[in-house]
Amino acid sequence: MATTITPWSEYEGGTLARQQVGLWRDGLRRLRRNRLALAAIIYLGLLACVCLVSLFWTPYNPNLIGVCPTYALPGTPGHPLGCDDLGRDLLSRLMVGSQVSLAVGLITAAIVLVLGVSIGLLIGYLRGVADAIFALIINVFYGVPPLMIAIVLYVLLGPGLINIIIAIAASTWMDMARLVRGQTLSIREREYIEAARAGGARTGKILFGHIFPNALGPIIVQTTYVVPAAILTSAFFSFLGFGVPAPQADWGGMASEGFSPLLAGFDPYILLWPAIALSVTLLAFNFFGDGLRDAFDPRQRR
Amino acid sequence: MTRGTLVYIIQRLAIIALTLLVVSFVVFVVVHALPGNAFISQRVHGRTLQLLLHEYGLDQPVLIQYWNFLKGAIHGNLGVSLYIRGEAVTPLVLRELSVSCELGGAALIVTIGLGMTFGVLAAIRQNTWVDYLLTSLAVIGYTVPSFVIAGLGIMIFADFLGSVTGGAFAYSPVWTGTYGTIGELWLPALSIGLYTSGQITRITRASMLEVIQQDYIRTARAKGLRERVITVRHALRNALVPVISILGTTIVGILVGVLVIENIFGIPGLGKEFVESILQHDYNVTVGVFTIFALLIGLSNLAVDLIYTVVDPRIRY
Amino acid sequence: MTGSMNQPVLEVKGLSTSFFTDDGEVKAVRDVSFDLAAGETLGIVGESGCGKSVTALSILGLVPRPGRVVGGEILFKGRDLLSIDREELRQIRGRDIAMIFQDPLSSLNPVHRIGAQVEEAMRAHDKIASADVRPRGLDLLRQVHVPDASRRVRNYPHQFSGGMRQRVMIAMGLSNRPEILIADEPTTALDVTVQAQILQLLRDLNRDLGTSIILITHNLGVVAGLCSRVVVMYAGEIVEQGTTEQIFDAPQHPYTWALLRSLPRVDADRHERLRSIEGLPPDLIAPPTGCKFNPRCPFRLERCFSEAPELKPVGDGQVAACWVTMKRAYAEMGAASLLDTRAGAASGVRPPLLPLPLAITRGPQPAGPEPLERE
Repeated sequence: MATTITPWSEYEGGTLARQQVGLWRDGLRRLRRNRLALAAIIYLGLLACVCLVSLFWTPYNPNLIGVCPTYALPGTPGHPLGCDDLGRDLLSRLMVGSQVSLAVGLITAAIVLVLGVSIGLLIGYLRGVADAIFALIINVFYGVPPLMIAIVLYVLLGPGLINIIIAIAASTWMDMARLVRGQTLSIREREYIEAARAGGARTGKILFGHIFPNALGPIIVQTTYVVPAAILTSAFFSFLGFGVPAPQADWGGMASEGFSPLLAGFDPYILLWPAIALSVTLLAFNFFGDGLRDAFDPRQRR
Repeated sequence: MTRGTLVYIIQRLAIIALTLLVVSFVVFVVVHALPGNAFISQRVHGRTLQLLLHEYGLDQPVLIQYWNFLKGAIHGNLGVSLYIRGEAVTPLVLRELSVSCELGGAALIVTIGLGMTFGVLAAIRQNTWVDYLLTSLAVIGYTVPSFVIAGLGIMIFADFLGSVTGGAFAYSPVWTGTYGTIGELWLPALSIGLYTSGQITRITRASMLEVIQQDYIRTARAKGLRERVITVRHALRNALVPVISILGTTIVGILVGVLVIENIFGIPGLGKEFVESILQHDYNVTVGVFTIFALLIGLSNLAVDLIYTVVDPRIRY
Repeated sequence: MTGSMNQPVLEVKGLSTSFFTDDGEVKAVRDVSFDLAAGETLGIVGESGCGKSVTALSILGLVPRPGRVVGGEILFKGRDLLSIDREELRQIRGRDIAMIFQDPLSSLNPVHRIGAQVEEAMRAHDKIASADVRPRGLDLLRQVHVPDASRRVRNYPHQFSGGMRQRVMIAMGLSNRPEILIADEPTTALDVTVQAQILQLLRDLNRDLGTSIILITHNLGVVAGLCSRVVVMYAGEIVEQGTTEQIFDAPQHPYTWALLRSLPRVDADRHERLRSIEGLPPDLIAPPTGCKFNPRCPFRLERCFSEAPELKPVGDGQVAACWVTMKRAYAEMGAASLLDTRAGAASGVRPPLLPLPLAITRGPQPAGPEPLERE
């Protein structure tokens, strides 16, 4: 068996040629090594479990008033997180609150994904008048903070969880559409697209069969950032008073309710628990997104 | 100021005007489709209601109403408040604008000051504890909602400090008069600023790291320049460009923060007005607030694009 | 006859620089020694990765992380640059020893005006009086033949052409009247015609100002045009040193010989193949034992695999590190008419058997080096 004894490599800037690995396998491997992202994934998994459980069971009825003494401190037997100003168990409310946050986050992301991708693909591919109109809409939308747009839409649609989701999605889909449009514009110039067209493929097939899979990377990463943005916006909503109608507990609303007792000099726990829950969840989504982005960044081959 | 730049500015101003038109129109129409009106909440019914509606021109078709509004708006008259009889919208909005600008400006100073300082420090001390600390702070900054930070701030400075020092250093989240005092301004400004500064830190750090690798830094060192000079005059100066590019988004972020924080601290600015006007169905004011916001954003984006040409001489319009 | 006139302005003794990477210590420069006399032009030649740039960077303490100098002395007018403190080194940079780099576009700060950058070089030190800085800046630009200097001094780097930018770099480098100018591949990024102009400029400056020049390049033609002495480097070591005439007329190291043969010649027969050197430079983390050139050398002996040769005199002031030397190759191995230049082809010596752990395949195999037959 012949083998050579001359190892070779060029040291110019330290590049040593490595085995070529597929993008997905390499990405997955790097993701696994990113400890922050792993911690984030674990946390989110736990959160999802808590959320599912809360659909069927919580220690106490979260909306029942007077279950425990008002402003009970954490550590009171049976109420590890204490109770709020109306005597409702905070732990139960926290658990139930996760439903709203996760629902808003994930469903909004789904809507934004579908809407943004379809419109982005079409605009990017067809260009022309559609692109001009799109640019106009974008300019108008960007002239006003999305939160304001969402609030007005929400007032228009009326209260309810679905309407919150619609309002938030409607105020943030443009970023995804812009991203997809940009990707489409660059991908459509590549040769295999021309080949597909020459082969008689229909527009729809080209869009979803060729362009979309190649733009998938940034799209996925962007989607993971939409989730925390949506959760944050819904938290602001509830905080300002536009949130899910009572008595459904949700983290933003809980935080808002916790402000007045805080200002009045009572203990901060009513504000603290949902604040922590929100912050950690948002952090987790962000780290997950960062991890995904770093893992699939083709420039960081190791 | 080249001719090309002048043309560019005029073009942008035209686009801003167009945007204002579209925004005000859309908001106007949407807002008038909203259920209820200002008078309902004041429990005015029947004939008085009809009279009032007529007096304010609210019984006319929407487009006519908009046309009237537009005619007035060109002269700076944004209508009258429906909720507070007789109060003209324009002076109201402008006064609140100044308050919001005060808050927003303070937040901007915090954002850029903290953000860039942290970013530069983290970059030149890459992978040391300084870097990890500052980067973590940045991440926390832009993830944690501003009201949480406000709440924490109140918790720490009002309650904790108050109880520890027996009330001597208690911070009270109130706002005296229209413009408050510095002592009342810093926590709201910080709550907003911490959020946006997180993003600035990240971008500054990444940009600095990239710039430090560049050949001209090596040249500067070979010329025998001092480290401090190299860091500021050569590295930072070039690292600014990506930071400027997200300045537009940052300003929008500050505006959103202003919206929320004003409502927490009861600061009489545009954000608080916006929420109140919606809750009170005082839609003329809502339209006015929206229009001002759109104008603000348009102008600040234009300013950012112009700053670009100063920072990077390769960019010319 | 040793007066201060004859003392070399720069003495590099046993310089070694390594890069400490995750994969191991890359020995980029190993035991390099040479002198530079006042007013002399020295060329350092070698292919990419041979350590010539790192050597230059080491002189001024500009080696980037994760690299650092690990041994030797660099005596500049008697002072060891490796043991002075940072502030003293900073003062020497740009004032006494200046360096210009390969790509003038990326080496100039894009957001500052040209004039400001040239002036900055002077203001950083106190050799030129403050009042003289601006007029001298203009003067320097004229000296390097930048046309319309008084107007162009306010331009930005991107408004200049490549050749102009390099002239500006040279002006910047000479602004403090340094004793030594180190030019790292100054013409590589430029067109051929511009190359000639830049080299002429350097020649004139050397003649008129008496500045010593160290020219680093992989291009032997450039060396012939400018330098009086040449140092040839391979795999981080000096393999030959001598005057330009000696190196070009009678190269003694097989690498130098092969380099010169590889230059395309105008008078060559049209059908003659270009004669490149088979193989690639070695891995500097785990280089071959013995002479580092042995995997590619047509004239290698058994000894070349086990003992690394040291620099020995092979002529009047010429030194080479080779057990064979071209004299012997011509005499005994028929180098004059050699057609097959693969490793070991002329001497017929194959690499000795080595224990298994070294028999590793890494990446695509270069065509040429002999396979080691293992049973």
